[in-house]
Amino acid sequence: MPTARVGLFVTCLVDLMRPRIGFATLKLLEDAGCEVVVPDTQTCCGQPAWNSGDAPGAVALAKKTIAEFEGFDYIVAPSGSCADQIRTEYPGLFADEPNWRDRATALASRTYELTDFLVTVLKVDSVPGDYEGTVTYHDSCTGVRSLGIKEQPRALLAKLKGVSLNEMNGCEECCGFGGTFSVKFGEVSAAIAERKCDNILASGAKAVVAGDLGCLLNIEGKLRRMGDETTQVLHVAEVLAGQDNPPGPLSRKGGDGSSPTGSAPGVRGPLWGGPAAGGA
Amino acid sequence: MSSRDDILGRVRASLHRNAGNAAAAREEIVAALGSRTQGPKPAIDADPHALLERFRLKSETQSSTVDIVAQESEVPAAVARYLAAMNLPKSAVAWASLAALDWGGAGLQVETRGARDADLVGITGCFCAVAETGTLMMCSSPDTPAAVSLLPETHIAIVRASRILPCMEDAWNLARQELGSLPRAVNFISGPSRTGDIEQTIVLGAHGPYRVHLVIVED
Amino acid sequence: MHFKANVHAKLSDVVLQGNLKNAKGKFVTRRAEAIRDLDDFEGTRDAAAAIRNKVIDNMDLWLETFERKALDTGAKVLWAKDGVEVCRLVIEIAKRHGVTKVTKSKSMLSEEAGLNHALEAAGIQPVETDLGEYILQVDNNEPPSHIIAPAVHKSLDEVADLFHKVHGTPRKTDIPALTREAREVLRAHFLSAEMGLSGGNFLVAETGSVALVTNEGNGRMVTTMPKVHVVITGIEKVIPTLEDLSTLMRLLPRSATGQSISNYFSILTGVKKPEEHDGPEHLYFVLVDSGRADVVGSDFHAMLRCIRCGACMNHCPVYQTIGGHAYGWVYPGPMGSVLTPLYAGLENSIDLPHAATLCNQCGIVCPVKIPLPDLLRKLREKQTEHGLRPLTERIGLRLWAWVAQHPKLYALGARVGARYLKWLAGDTDRIRLLPTAPEWTLGRDFPAPQGKTFRELYAARRSATPRT
Repeated sequence: MPTARVGLFVTCLVDLMRPRIGFATLKLLEDAGCEVVVPDTQTCCGQPAWNSGDAPGAVALAKKTIAEFEGFDYIVAPSGSCADQIRTEYPGLFADEPNWRDRATALASRTYELTDFLVTVLKVDSVPGDYEGTVTYHDSCTGVRSLGIKEQPRALLAKLKGVSLNEMNGCEECCGFGGTFSVKFGEVSAAIAERKCDNILASGAKAVVAGDLGCLLNIEGKLRRMGDETTQVLHVAEVLAGQDNPPGPLSRKGGDGSSPTGSAPGVRGPLWGGPAAGGA
Repeated sequence: MSSRDDILGRVRASLHRNAGNAAAAREEIVAALGSRTQGPKPAIDADPHALLERFRLKSETQSSTVDIVAQESEVPAAVARYLAAMNLPKSAVAWASLAALDWGGAGLQVETRGARDADLVGITGCFCAVAETGTLMMCSSPDTPAAVSLLPETHIAIVRASRILPCMEDAWNLARQELGSLPRAVNFISGPSRTGDIEQTIVLGAHGPYRVHLVIVED
Repeated sequence: MHFKANVHAKLSDVVLQGNLKNAKGKFVTRRAEAIRDLDDFEGTRDAAAAIRNKVIDNMDLWLETFERKALDTGAKVLWAKDGVEVCRLVIEIAKRHGVTKVTKSKSMLSEEAGLNHALEAAGIQPVETDLGEYILQVDNNEPPSHIIAPAVHKSLDEVADLFHKVHGTPRKTDIPALTREAREVLRAHFLSAEMGLSGGNFLVAETGSVALVTNEGNGRMVTTMPKVHVVITGIEKVIPTLEDLSTLMRLLPRSATGQSISNYFSILTGVKKPEEHDGPEHLYFVLVDSGRADVVGSDFHAMLRCIRCGACMNHCPVYQTIGGHAYGWVYPGPMGSVLTPLYAGLENSIDLPHAATLCNQCGIVCPVKIPLPDLLRKLREKQTEHGLRPLTERIGLRLWAWVAQHPKLYALGARVGARYLKWLAGDTDRIRLLPTAPEWTLGRDFPAPQGKTFRELYAARRSATPRT
């Protein structure tokens, strides 16, 4: 197949909180032979506006995203939630604007969540990561229920020799994040997260892995508040891409304090909860 | 304006009702009522033995107990056997339609009438039975009063094997064919009454019978 | 309807939390097993949604068809615009027939209308006969917290204490014994009440019948023993044929309680004939609007498909966490968060449409495929349009959306944000108190960011390794 030109939709959370997930995604796509472009004007897909009842805001951001990404063969995001906004919701935003609706529909049909893209479109044989240990996979709501992302990340994780998967109870149950829900109803959100974390801890896995950063922030925040300092909380891209995962945060002098969880064997540098190693 | 006119008026307004679309919709309604389209049904083996076996299995899943006899004349003895085994009284109220059976010959005192609160055992037939779910279909009438299967703590139902049908849809067809219109009460019964209202713990015998015993007659 | 205020109390209620945890697992596993048992669950869901749509799309004519058939059977059909009219009509019927006591099978519309209170005020004794509803009635008329299992929030110990107090019997903690105690108390009421009142799971247009689904047999009791039977039901409950009833019945018990069929499924048509031993001499249908007519043809018409199985709440992470009472009205969980704003007013339920993570577990389990998350989102949109959300939130959203349309400004904001969060975390990997979103850190930490944004690091990498 000719080299696919992929527009990487970084997502606003990855941009703000975990750039290394963006770089891991970039690496996975490039390793699989894609030409990856990261449009530098991208911001947010508009899902927070859409889910909060601000339809005009959602429409404006959708138009912006469509214009930025419609030139690529594919649009890939390291998030089921953002990919779903483009893929499932965008076409419906333009009931009264047929021209935009057509453009949205065209973009939607070429938009993929990362693991779905690697498995369904690229059909990759191998991934560069080399994680060692037991992981448990949290299926994020939109990914599993709207996009049908269930086997894809598991199939990819299975390609890593050192990884064994221990499914938790209720792996498809919501972690309680829910976007703005997490800050509007913090107490309920955290209580739901507690059930999820109980299941994660009961799985005995060394790391919980998921495909959406929102869920991961929620889960990590709850695990730590519950006193768990050892369970790693990783984006699936980080595990699949493995170690040479450039560049880490440079916000503090002295090589950026390490994560209290320490490094994961097989993953160079602290991955989650602390700055990653490496640099440009 | 009456509430009826007010409510229907607002529904009509919401639906943009006019003479034209009303005529078309009326045709659709007539067609729907006439065609009685069935939805997806489970695949059920219609072989009589398979039906009986499924009905028996599903009835037991519903916590009914099942006895099978070869002919109707054996029913009173089978009922007496069950009552004795369960240490239950030998007197019962039964549907008038079962008056011809020799209950006395089996040592039972059976009165055919409507049920009373004091009745401990109720004996009924059934209009037909549904193998899909292990369900009895009871049709009320002067000879088949509804309360006989409801008030007593023990309900014994006689089921003719030839009246075991695959699905509820088949039961409706049989009712239309044999009764014309629906009786006042059609009661589908699937095992003893039960509740799960305290801590989702299933308890048999809520307001109706504690036990349902089926005597299937292989006719 | 002060959802948010209720939530804290519910989360701190240790007994309730235990009861909810216990209930959740049972509902979910029982349903999953029952669905597996059905050959074509998805096909049946599609068929069920189509049946419900068929009627909703021509609801006026289907209602007239049902009414005509019901009148033919000897029933009387009354119409009520709202709860006040429901109460008035039921009290009129009761007075006409000299009724002093009404036995009731579960009716959510009676809860909507506040009927028990009105009956009592009119000197008529209402007796709830569903075990769960009975438990609540004798506990100072506590409202139900679930549409299928009204007392699901109560533990065995609480019921044991309650029966001991109310019945004056020795305290017992054996569930069958408690059930028998209620049976004996209620049997006397069944036999002495002059009027039975039920809801209706479905109204069958073909035959003018009401279909009732119960397990306890109380539905059969209240429709068999008293001389008057009153059915109170919403105008959306009509379905065309008995065949349609069979299709819906493959889904309702499975979705509600995980049963392939409920113990009792009664189709009641007309009144007792003179020579019959049992059955009511008078049958009344009270068809209730209470907001439903206005939902027809609206953005929310799919909600009228609801068959009140409760699966959405059983699978809702929010409901599982706080129970039904926090929702503040008759209908809890996702279906309630849609119905309450529609029937009780958008302005009276500001929080409810937002009280969901939009995880779509509800939409997946709904037997009639109601897109509950979409409806919740539409309600949020209506609230924003009508200026019902807090001003700070509306301004915040608008500002954020505006900034997100200006990439340079946005990038700057993200840079500042990442550094600010990093500063808050200090030397640690977490933020314990997030001043900009304190709700987040009420019950969990907020992980520290890496400190720079992706776009900064990516630009740095690009300039370090120029591409060809």
